[in-house]
Amino acid sequence: MQVPSYYEFCCRVKTVSGHNALEKIPSFLDKLDAKAPMIITDKGVTGAGLITIVEEAIKGSGVEIKAVCDDVPPDSDLKVVNELAKVYQEKGCDSIIAVGGGSPIDTAKGVNIVVSENATDLMQFAGVGVIKKRLKPMIAIPTTSGTGSEMTLVAVIADHEKNVKMAFVSYFLLPDFAILDSRMTKTLPPFITAPTAMDAMTHAIEAYTCLGKNPVSDATALKAIEMISLNLLKVVKKPDDLDGRLALANASALAGMSFSNSMVGMVHTLGHATGGVCHVPHGVCMSIFLPYALEYNMHKIKNDLAEVYFALAGQEEYAKTAPGERAEKAITFVRQLNQDLHDATDGKHARCLKEVFDREGNPMVPKDKLSDIVKTALGDASQFYNPEDFDYNDLMFVIEHAWEGTPLDRSKIKKG
Amino acid sequence: MNYNKYPQINPKSKFIKRIYVSVMLFVVGRAIAAAAKSDKVVKEEFKNLRDDFMMRLGVTPNGPEMILGKNEKGVVKYMGWNSKGKKITMNMQIKNLEAAMLMFTFQESTTVATARDRLAVSGDLPDACAFVRILDIVETYLLPKIIVKFAVKRYPKWSQMSPLRKYVGRVLVYTRTLLGI
Repeated sequence: MQVPSYYEFCCRVKTVSGHNALEKIPSFLDKLDAKAPMIITDKGVTGAGLITIVEEAIKGSGVEIKAVCDDVPPDSDLKVVNELAKVYQEKGCDSIIAVGGGSPIDTAKGVNIVVSENATDLMQFAGVGVIKKRLKPMIAIPTTSGTGSEMTLVAVIADHEKNVKMAFVSYFLLPDFAILDSRMTKTLPPFITAPTAMDAMTHAIEAYTCLGKNPVSDATALKAIEMISLNLLKVVKKPDDLDGRLALANASALAGMSFSNSMVGMVHTLGHATGGVCHVPHGVCMSIFLPYALEYNMHKIKNDLAEVYFALAGQEEYAKTAPGERAEKAITFVRQLNQDLHDATDGKHARCLKEVFDREGNPMVPKDKLSDIVKTALGDASQFYNPEDFDYNDLMFVIEHAWEGTPLDRSKIKKG
Repeated sequence: MNYNKYPQINPKSKFIKRIYVSVMLFVVGRAIAAAAKSDKVVKEEFKNLRDDFMMRLGVTPNGPEMILGKNEKGVVKYMGWNSKGKKITMNMQIKNLEAAMLMFTFQESTTVATARDRLAVSGDLPDACAFVRILDIVETYLLPKIIVKFAVKRYPKWSQMSPLRKYVGRVLVYTRTLLGI
């Protein structure tokens, strides 16, 4: 593997993992000189009783939870960030504990920007490197495995009025601590475990195959791919497997660490846009688009994808496969994994865009929205890191196949 | 104590490199303004940008810079090399002069430079994406294929840019860039 002529890698997050890791929260807050945290979460997490577990872990330590805010929507929303920042200031909080999936953690990062910079509007900090000072103390406790947001320097927040997702990128957005406790994902239903773990898988595979790859992110990405491959189906079929849950949580954190330092490509370009326009959950988009992006980029990433196959299928399958076929087998493996997850979740895990339905059973991605999705995707910065270039026609070609669920006709790909 | 044995060091300026990057930024700025009048795809990209679009492409901390934006009539113009007094809506900063040299000697394309963390972008990221697409088209007009292949991720195929469009566009962009019209 070639070392790039220049790269940067930074992960200042202290990772704490274990079956009873939450009990260390008071000592972490003490290290951060904080006593009055605000908990930011969503209704799903409070409904599952997970905040109660966090409160029990903090009981008797002298720490006062000043506010528990659980109105974070499924997609982190700009208005909610600005409102929660006001709550933080009104209640006299001095730190933030984010409990949840990507949306609560990203919302918490957004709130942290507003309260630390004493601002009224988050949008002035959009972009890369705009935040230039240390933010308030923050602890992230993921309840999905996952977006890896607990390890990333990015917050993606939706502006639902403009129907776009805005990215905020800064090393100062990294939480101080990430606590991986198996109790937090134990009750995650299989039909959410599947796409969230495929989200982590996408992070790791894109980190390994896109332009920003470097030796450190490669090491964490491969380990994440291996751990997800070994544990995902097991956990979907047996949700109370705590060791499996902890392994997936670690894999998600490793994948987050990896992509945070090498960025992502086409899967996220299309995924962010689909989430912004049609409000499809992020993990669902990732699992659908992943094999398509790999097919699109194949001519540029063949060697890297062959190495990914080792992590996906294990050393025996890898050794049995001819070198020229390993990259193709990696794509076949991912498609088969999506199929197995579809079967294990009684059809709830979508394999293509036309299979994505909301709770009322309505299709979430009408075919006439594909053009809007592609136009939005052309404004996503992740395209810079994709190995192959694409324009409007290329993305329409990919998304139409992703809608139908048919593999790409690779003879139609314009190769650079 | 003899403090003179700890002399102050005043870093020298990289004069030639600064001049080179300044010239390249000037040419790129004028060429983009020229392409906005000559190429329909570039025209369309600028049409989709905000009315008060004003971007700065420069070298931090105090390097040469280029300002490009729309005037009150919506015409895309090269606005000079000084951002003072201008409301910048999208700021692309090249982190140091050496990184700028790598980009402007085409040893690294814009996207590879981004992947290697040589650029920081603040403001509207969709505008930055549009700008990179525009820059790729302008580089195709300004430079021969053998150099452009290093500067862009994918050299445009015939279906994306016909030879007629390329050569007519090249003449128009060069003429407008040199004459500033």
